[in-house]
Amino acid sequence: MVQLVVPSDLVFVLLAAVTIIAAILALQAKELIYGAIALGLSFIGIAGFFVFLDAPYLAMLQIAVYVGAVVVLILFTIMLVRREETEAIAELPERGQGAIGLWLAGLLAVAISGVAALAGPNLPSAPQPGELPVASLGLVIEAEYPVPLLILALLISAALLGALVLAKVEK
Amino acid sequence: MVSLISYLIVSAALLGIGVYGLTVKRNAIRILFSVEIIVNAANLNFAAFTRYLNPPQVAGQVIVFYSIAAAAMEAAVGLALILVAFRLNQSIDVRKLNKLKG
Repeated sequence: MVQLVVPSDLVFVLLAAVTIIAAILALQAKELIYGAIALGLSFIGIAGFFVFLDAPYLAMLQIAVYVGAVVVLILFTIMLVRREETEAIAELPERGQGAIGLWLAGLLAVAISGVAALAGPNLPSAPQPGELPVASLGLVIEAEYPVPLLILALLISAALLGALVLAKVEK
Repeated sequence: MVSLISYLIVSAALLGIGVYGLTVKRNAIRILFSVEIIVNAANLNFAAFTRYLNPPQVAGQVIVFYSIAAAAMEAAVGLALILVAFRLNQSIDVRKLNKLKG
């Protein structure tokens, strides 16, 4: 029997703060490499949300794929690309663009939150009873979505081959 | 008790951060960060809606499963592209990648 992990408000707010602040740091940190590490922290925060949402498999996958693979890949790329000149120039936004980006981002976030708040009374305030056992994820994939799985396998092969070909050094 | 709206607000905030990065940043790697943050916001939404549906459906988790796999590939290809751009241009400033401009 799986016990549903329900966070208290305080734990939820703390986790949300860690996730969001880490995401901001990922974009704003002076050193690109610290940004990548902050991005990993943000991914771990999302994995925490997955645990609260009764999706332990997704939390595991999130940590294995994002923190384990994507962030490490990004770190290696930063080490390959790194140059003092690139680091310095690329971080300065052009004049006026910072404000535009801020307005756009704020508008989007506020609009979506506003729509959610308007729909608030109709949205469920507590997780519905009923389990989502980990095994059922595999069963549903097998039974109902086998074709996307095959397409995904093809896509992974194609993407990895493509990445290899792209990154190959021509002699 | 945490309601669905809390998850939606966290997700909207992450989306806003990602869009800010996409608009403002000039470093190609930072733009890749932004894309990853936006994908994560979407994943969080899928997982939250799945959990709060009545009765809970596992389909949302399946979508997140596929989405995580697709995002990992996108990161691999994106980073390979950044490496190529750096080799050709000695810079990963996206404003300088304008060789295709007529």
